[in-house]
Amino acid sequence: MATRPTATRKTAKGEYIETDSGNKVSRKANISGTPNITLGGKTVIMADVHLRGDLTRPKAATPDPKGAKQSSTSISIGRCTVVSTGTVIRPPGRMSRGVYTYYPMKIGDNVFVGPNCVIQAASISSHVHISENCVLQPLCVIKENVKILPHTVVPANMVVPPNSVVGGRPGRIVGEVGEGYGVSVGAVAGGSGEGWVEGGDLRELVRIIK
Amino acid sequence: MSQQFPYTYYSCSCVDTPTSLLPLSRKSVEARSSSDEEETTFDPRSSRANFSLYPLEHLLYCTECHQMRCSRCTTEEVLCWYCPSCLFEVPSSTVRSEGNRCTRSCYNCPICTSFLTVNLLDAPTEAQRDAEQPPGPFILSCSYCNWTSLDIGIKFDKANNITGQLQRVRNGGIIVPTPKERENQAERLLRKQPNHEEEEEVKSPLEETPAAQAPPDADDFFSNLNSFYKSQLADTETSAGPAEFNVHSPSSIQRLLNLYSTGKKTKRGKPKPMRESLTTAEGLQEYSSSSEEELIHRLATSGWEATTSPSQRSFQERHPPRFTSDLRPTATLLRTKRSKRCKTCRTLLSRPEPKVNTTRYKIKVLALNNIPKVSIRSLNTTPQSLLTDLVTISSSMQQKEYTTLHPLMPYQFLLTLTNPLFDPIKVTLATPTTTPGRVQTRVTILCPQFDVGANTDVWDDALNSTSSQNNPKRKSAAPGLSVASPPDNSDGKQAEAGKIWDKGRNWTSVIVEVVPGVLPGTPAFVGEGGEVREDEGVVECPVFVKVEYESEGLGAGETPERVRMVGEGKEKREVAFWCVLGVGKIVG
Repeated sequence: MATRPTATRKTAKGEYIETDSGNKVSRKANISGTPNITLGGKTVIMADVHLRGDLTRPKAATPDPKGAKQSSTSISIGRCTVVSTGTVIRPPGRMSRGVYTYYPMKIGDNVFVGPNCVIQAASISSHVHISENCVLQPLCVIKENVKILPHTVVPANMVVPPNSVVGGRPGRIVGEVGEGYGVSVGAVAGGSGEGWVEGGDLRELVRIIK
Repeated sequence: MSQQFPYTYYSCSCVDTPTSLLPLSRKSVEARSSSDEEETTFDPRSSRANFSLYPLEHLLYCTECHQMRCSRCTTEEVLCWYCPSCLFEVPSSTVRSEGNRCTRSCYNCPICTSFLTVNLLDAPTEAQRDAEQPPGPFILSCSYCNWTSLDIGIKFDKANNITGQLQRVRNGGIIVPTPKERENQAERLLRKQPNHEEEEEVKSPLEETPAAQAPPDADDFFSNLNSFYKSQLADTETSAGPAEFNVHSPSSIQRLLNLYSTGKKTKRGKPKPMRESLTTAEGLQEYSSSSEEELIHRLATSGWEATTSPSQRSFQERHPPRFTSDLRPTATLLRTKRSKRCKTCRTLLSRPEPKVNTTRYKIKVLALNNIPKVSIRSLNTTPQSLLTDLVTISSSMQQKEYTTLHPLMPYQFLLTLTNPLFDPIKVTLATPTTTPGRVQTRVTILCPQFDVGANTDVWDDALNSTSSQNNPKRKSAAPGLSVASPPDNSDGKQAEAGKIWDKGRNWTSVIVEVVPGVLPGTPAFVGEGGEVREDEGVVECPVFVKVEYESEGLGAGETPERVRMVGEGKEKREVAFWCVLGVGKIVG
């Protein structure tokens, strides 16, 4: 009987549950609709993050004639993406043909989502840095290498072109990221004291989150 | 946006060289910069400094000139135009003829600038729901501020070609001819009246259109005047006369018209003087006191809410209106992809792939890969605390370490230089003992001369360290982040003058001691009193970085002063630049 308490203590020790593909999901994260969420591997979901996988496209009333099973993935997140504390990720929805419909959301690789954001984008491409306290309104599209400044509200349906900096309420394109955005000095060892750079490879950051 | 501390800005060398397009003789530039280097220290507070300070990722590097290049010392060439909203490429010929705005259905809200969507005005009925093309009417609506095109009285019949539909409708739903039709109409009018006796007849065709009931707007005046001048020029073209240089002379008007038209350049003759427009049909704008009074009345009755703000006015495509009811949705401005060249030697520094949806570059020579990276952070922050700040607490908490510097208290910062080059470098740092300006902050670099290792393959280092695994100095990864060194190494270690703090594969860190100065307006302040000026409490330390290294191979076009043969095919190189370290903010 002496082994059991130590065993429970061991599982309770780490804050994160690590999956086979290296995803780290916090025990304090709030995840609904787990079957509808895919994580690409080496992705971090932190404490108090709310993933609303339960908001899916309604099942078609008439089943597919081919008999193919309708995929109901509502949130798909790529590799080495970090979702910080307090962020809510919910698939976007809108009125379509008189019915309120939810659309699947896609988040790419090496995306950093800062703390306390509300993300309802239709798609976020790779190497995007979203700072803290941002709101991405329904069905906006964020392309590659975009930096979103703190406290930005990206309006609904906005398309953010690649290599741009977005800021303000409502969000406007306020500039372009430099050519060196996301490039770290040396292969792995960045000299910034952090080992990773904004918009770059987040593998180092994922590695040190424990 | 407030600045995030700490930061490092690099001063591009173009700050003390005149940036003219004319190629300068290299000797003079060299002489200038060398004398500057010896005599002056860089002042981050000078008003010129703002134009030369850049974060490292915005800088490029010219491999021919061996200097960093900022946006001021590069020239740009447009590779392609595209709409940021629909991400369609626009051919440059279209840009030349139609202007730099999207001609599809991309529009911005005139109130809040966010993107407008085309929506059905009424909820569709059950029968319409399944139709391929839902019937209209449609409106443009902003989901951010709830503005719709109904606010200016505009509805659309179709969901596509909004631009075409918008062109023929004025605010309030008045159908007007498109600019082209309008021009033709105005020309027809002018041809009909060779002399002014037929003025009665002239008016009648205008009255047929509903637009005639409304007062003519600026577009009408423009098209009328445009066609009037064109007809006048056609009349005078045959007969040559003496050239005149006043505003109303035909030659200057012709020049003016050429600005507005996109056609081929016509041969410049010397046309004779011609008359000015006399009627409204000819584009004469008459002053009427009643319209002014109406305007004042409108201002008085509708109030502040109904007037436009300066930013809304400047956001309009043309004719800045006074009232929100006169605002028009603005077509989305196009964006470009550009390649960059060095201004001095015309070498290509960056060239993105011309396709809109790719983010790859064909050529990209970054300063990041050629110049050591200088970074600074507070000695008290451990990487682990940095991480928790980043992902949990709001930025105000995260910044506390840097934004609450007390005057006359010593603070220690960790200055790290990372070497991107494949050769080991020798670094010499220099800084003025006190920062320029009224708030004199004392800055001391404890170890101004040190070496930084080469940026060798990570695996080389890893393989070497396996042989001596119990060596505690196994810190190949990022500074301070390595697994081997505990993050709380600061309490066991004392900063010593003349000694480096820490060292890794291609990075070295040293301690910088900063004693913030006294802010003006406080009792301890010596000197002229007065208010604290904007950003005077921000501590920015100018640091001069000189890097020496030996590199293999001799590049073409080397300057003999900078490169000296050392033997064995190696050459000695020297790179020197100023950078500014933003350490924090002093509290009063």
